[in-house]
Amino acid sequence: MSKPSDLVQGTLDLLLLKILALQPMNGWAISLRLKSISGDVLQVSEGSLYPALHKLEQEGWITAEWKQTENNRRAKFYSLTRLGRQHLEKEAANWSRLSAAISHVVRLEEA
Amino acid sequence: MGPQHWLYTIPLRLRSVFRSRRVEQELNEELQFHLEQKIEEGIANGLSPKEARYAAMRSMNGLEQQKEEIRDTRRIHWLTDFFDDARFAIRSLSRTPGLTAFVVITLALGIGMTSGTFSMVDALIFRPYPVPHASGVMTLASTTHDSSFDNFSYREYLDIRGKTKSYDGVIANADMEAVGFSDEPTATPRIKGGMLVSANYFRVLGVEPRLGRGFREDEDQVPGRDAVMVLGPDFWKQEFASDPSVLGRHIRLNGTDFTVIGVAPETFPGMLIFGHPDFYMPLAMARVFSTDRQKNFFEDRDDRELAVRARLKPGTTLEQAQNELAVLAKNFETDYPKFNRNRGAAVHTQFELRTRTDDGNWKFGVIFMILALAVLLVACTNVAGLLLSRARSRTREIAVRLAIGAGRFRLIRLLLTESLILASLGGLVGIGIGYSIVLWFQSFQNVIFMTDLPFSIPFRMDTRVLLASLALSAFSALLCGLVPALQSTRVDLVNGLKSADVDVPGRKRLWGRNVLVVAQVSASLMLLTASFLMVRGFQHDLREGTGFAKDHLLMVSFDPRLVQYNAAQTQQFYKLLAERVREAPEVQSEALTQNIPLGTDDFDGIAFVPDGFQMPRDRENFNSTMDTVDEGYFGTMGIPILRGRGFLASDTAEAPRVAIVNEQFAKHYWPGEDAVGKHIRLDSRAGTPAEIVGVAQSIKYQNTSEKPMDFVYMPLAQHPIARMTLMLRSSGDPLQLVQRVKDVLRTLDPNLPMLHTMAYEDYYQNQAVEGPRIAMKLVGSMGTVGLLLAIAGLYGLVAYNVSRRTREIGIRMALGAASSDVLRLVMGKGLVLVGIGAAIGVVMGFGVEQLMNSMLFNAGGVDVLAYVIVVPSLFLVTMLAAYVPARRASRIAPTQALRYE
Repeated sequence: MSKPSDLVQGTLDLLLLKILALQPMNGWAISLRLKSISGDVLQVSEGSLYPALHKLEQEGWITAEWKQTENNRRAKFYSLTRLGRQHLEKEAANWSRLSAAISHVVRLEEA
Repeated sequence: MGPQHWLYTIPLRLRSVFRSRRVEQELNEELQFHLEQKIEEGIANGLSPKEARYAAMRSMNGLEQQKEEIRDTRRIHWLTDFFDDARFAIRSLSRTPGLTAFVVITLALGIGMTSGTFSMVDALIFRPYPVPHASGVMTLASTTHDSSFDNFSYREYLDIRGKTKSYDGVIANADMEAVGFSDEPTATPRIKGGMLVSANYFRVLGVEPRLGRGFREDEDQVPGRDAVMVLGPDFWKQEFASDPSVLGRHIRLNGTDFTVIGVAPETFPGMLIFGHPDFYMPLAMARVFSTDRQKNFFEDRDDRELAVRARLKPGTTLEQAQNELAVLAKNFETDYPKFNRNRGAAVHTQFELRTRTDDGNWKFGVIFMILALAVLLVACTNVAGLLLSRARSRTREIAVRLAIGAGRFRLIRLLLTESLILASLGGLVGIGIGYSIVLWFQSFQNVIFMTDLPFSIPFRMDTRVLLASLALSAFSALLCGLVPALQSTRVDLVNGLKSADVDVPGRKRLWGRNVLVVAQVSASLMLLTASFLMVRGFQHDLREGTGFAKDHLLMVSFDPRLVQYNAAQTQQFYKLLAERVREAPEVQSEALTQNIPLGTDDFDGIAFVPDGFQMPRDRENFNSTMDTVDEGYFGTMGIPILRGRGFLASDTAEAPRVAIVNEQFAKHYWPGEDAVGKHIRLDSRAGTPAEIVGVAQSIKYQNTSEKPMDFVYMPLAQHPIARMTLMLRSSGDPLQLVQRVKDVLRTLDPNLPMLHTMAYEDYYQNQAVEGPRIAMKLVGSMGTVGLLLAIAGLYGLVAYNVSRRTREIGIRMALGAASSDVLRLVMGKGLVLVGIGAAIGVVMGFGVEQLMNSMLFNAGGVDVLAYVIVVPSLFLVTMLAAYVPARRASRIAPTQALRYE
């Protein structure tokens, strides 16, 4: 993996929570969705996807369920828990604050 | 993380632990699904199936690595690792069943002895009062030069209660007393233990009656008005079969009818260690019970019969309470100089109360505890030695593990798990041993408490002791496992892998072993010395004798207060009793005494000022223990009068006051002079003078190990006491006199019960001989166990050394060493270690001896004989233990030894 595509520590969690907030999904679908919504800017290594998902599950923020996919195969679908939704809200707010602050600083330097 | 968080995570963790196979399978499926999707995507993009597969695998960063990473997120690693370690440990331990059994038994002995004695120390010192928030309950005590645990008088109690602000309630109780009890008016009273308490007693302690109610304030205000009582839980069960209709019933106590208003709960057997009051009465009813006849309980400020306790207010410090009470005591001193001069007051915690210096029981407990810990130490060092040799024979296994990448910490954990399992097994068996020790203690219930009052042995195997035993097991696991684990994981990989049993030269790794042997020998020497000293101490006490004749004596106690005699009736009763029993032909002589020597009750104290003795500036008077006796006492008990005379019938209430002192007293106050003819003034300089008419030989008064003490005798006629014990010297079996006494009593008052009727010699056997014998047995068995373990340990060490050096010995012998050289070689080292251990052990023995002398025995100085016997015998025995394997080494045939591998 090349450096630029590495995600800032902790942001992968935020992305995953946000994606799952939209609808329950299996791991494969999540990886596709990640790629499509963020273009090539945010490339998530498939090697770090599953550990991240399992960590979120163990934290109690998402929960998993075995279901049939559209083409009739069994897959593990993740969905957000109530606790996860709270956490997402908090993290999203944090993120906005942080990115706003950073953008502000970056603009200052340009001026 | 709130409870909500746990709601999600706990089921997941549990699932990871208990359904681990299922969880693993799901993980596989999940990753497999992803992989297949990826491959399909690759094929759709035009790759060959094989290429697509490679590409997919590459992008997943290695499947196994991912799985491992995911497993880590479950955070149960430590647990699954522990299970793995435990499984492995059990498997490897069951491969050496003999060693495992030996280790478990060794640890069990150490842990069992310690937990058994801990049950004793816990009951005597640490167990909190059976009330809620027990740590807030303080004991307030009046203090003098001689005692920091004196009682308060009723008046003083009222003042403390009214004038202190540090407490949520101040309570008082008198001693548990013998009370004549009958549930029907006509029945002869039986003796039960009753306790006078203040009305707020149960409320302040936080004890909710199980039935009915506690005392109301107004029931404790007017002396003699409210005859109400609360039953103790055991008494209610035994006497009334837990009948709830007992409430409102009238019960006769000492001839007065009392109404039962409540029953204390099962959880509250009382505040005493040994005694469990049968019932409680309000202080206002004191006149019915055994308070001092010559004083007015409700008025006299020096009638100090109440133990005062108080519940500290939250937020108030002990120091604030101390200061407050000290100020109050100062005020007492100024306001009532007659009663309170040189008298202070102190607030004591429960711990301070339980470890008061004038009580011997807890000291025995502490000494037993120290000895038991020494046994545990020997056991643990023994096991550590064994584990060390075991780990050494696994050098290669450990080297391999380290070589393929196991962390050292991980290996130490594995080895510690092994010793934890051993210690847990040892702990379980040990708890069994501890429990049997507790049962053994309890089997002496009737031997130790030869009294009608409800006393019991408080040693129990309860949750506290169980927890302590478990903690001990964990502690011993660490103690005996850590050193071997640290040492055996410090392996030189190159050498370790080369041969199965390398002998790494270097002093470092042997050092641990040597320390173990030295610790073992010294601890067991200390144990042996202590047990030897204790046995010798008791023997010394018993051989020294008591100073009076114990045989052919019958004792019977009476308390005419039980049938409401007044002072005059009481005196008349004793006069007639003595006269009439004397008429019986088998009765050689008769005596009356307030306390029997070596009895369970404490002697009264007497305050006095000796004539012609320069009083120190800060003292108002001196104190001494005393007894009230009649004119037959010295003759009947065979106590020689050394100078002057004994009491005579002419020493009546109207005659001048007289007293007899013991030799110790005479020497103390009039050294080199004749005490006969001197006077002591009672209470103070201005008090009534009593002439000393005789000096009696000193005897043992309270226990056989006491130091010589001052003692004063007062004649019964001049110092009337209600509760007295009749002593009869018979020509034959003293118990045959019981019928005589009964006959006489019938002519005097058939309602008066006979208390504590028994032959004095039986009583003495149980009280003075049996108790020490129990202690000797306990200490003796500790010493034996310690020695046996030390022998086993030393034997193991030498045997192990021999087997390790078989090849070397073979070479030496092949080169011409004689078998005596080999013997010297092998044993020399052991001898040095035993020598060092013995030296340390002797020093520790001195320490324990000092401790025992200061706490228990009157024998001062060093008991040289103990060391002369113990040290060489320990040497002899340990040398024998070393000799057996050493001899085997010296018989090694070189050809065989060299073919060893």
